[in-house]
Amino acid sequence: MSQPIKLSIPSHPKYLGLIRKVLQELLNYHEVPDETARRLILCVDEACSNVIKHGYGGPCEEPIEATFHIDGDDFKVQIRDYGKQCDSSEIKPRCLDQIKPGGLGTHFINEIMDDVSYCTERAKGTLLTMVKKLKSELTSAQEKDKE
Amino acid sequence: MSIELKLDRPSENTVTVSVNGDIDMSSSTKVRDILAPLFQENNKAIIVDLSGVSYIDSSGIATLVEGLQWSHSSQNKFRLVSLTPGVKDVFEIARLLTVFEVFDTKEQALAH
Repeated sequence: MSQPIKLSIPSHPKYLGLIRKVLQELLNYHEVPDETARRLILCVDEACSNVIKHGYGGPCEEPIEATFHIDGDDFKVQIRDYGKQCDSSEIKPRCLDQIKPGGLGTHFINEIMDDVSYCTERAKGTLLTMVKKLKSELTSAQEKDKE
Repeated sequence: MSIELKLDRPSENTVTVSVNGDIDMSSSTKVRDILAPLFQENNKAIIVDLSGVSYIDSSGIATLVEGLQWSHSSQNKFRLVSLTPGVKDVFEIARLLTVFEVFDTKEQALAH
């Protein structure tokens, strides 16, 4: 896919289902295995939820721009917001030994994605870039099909 | 996608909550709102049927973890049934699958 797919949604939770559906269609089109697709969708949903909660401080109508790009073996997604800039050094998954509600979104993103980076070198907001190598996922799915 | 929540009382002191739809940041508060009062009642078991849920995010997981904590403090049993592959996968990534009482069917959860 040479051209990235771009989608902008207002920063309100009611639009999260829309972004999930668009991404599901895109991943179906590229025959990404179901389990991988579900996990990538989870990461994008969690990233957008974090923007709504932390970047914009709650539901509102500010823009969240998502760019999806499948280039060879790489699935790359960028989430751009114009809210409060995050301190990437403070974004850490919490310890899972303690059973308590909340704080799992960052764990999901770090666990599933191969590369995660936050860029705040801009006047406003944050650019989150997440990359997943699809080759190993596609190979394991093909091996499962052969069994 | 909107969420549908259905409450049933199959026997005395047992309540089942059937959830239909995605549990995400926009709908998890609705799940929380229906679960929270059930722990104030004298229920022996509260069973959440997730067969109609194909997607759950961290806010949905957080709501169910809250339910688990309420069950510990109120002595109610809190059981999850019929996890779809998508929901089960999220529980596994969160390493929470063994923390909950999970059953394949509602009947098994009721009989236990």
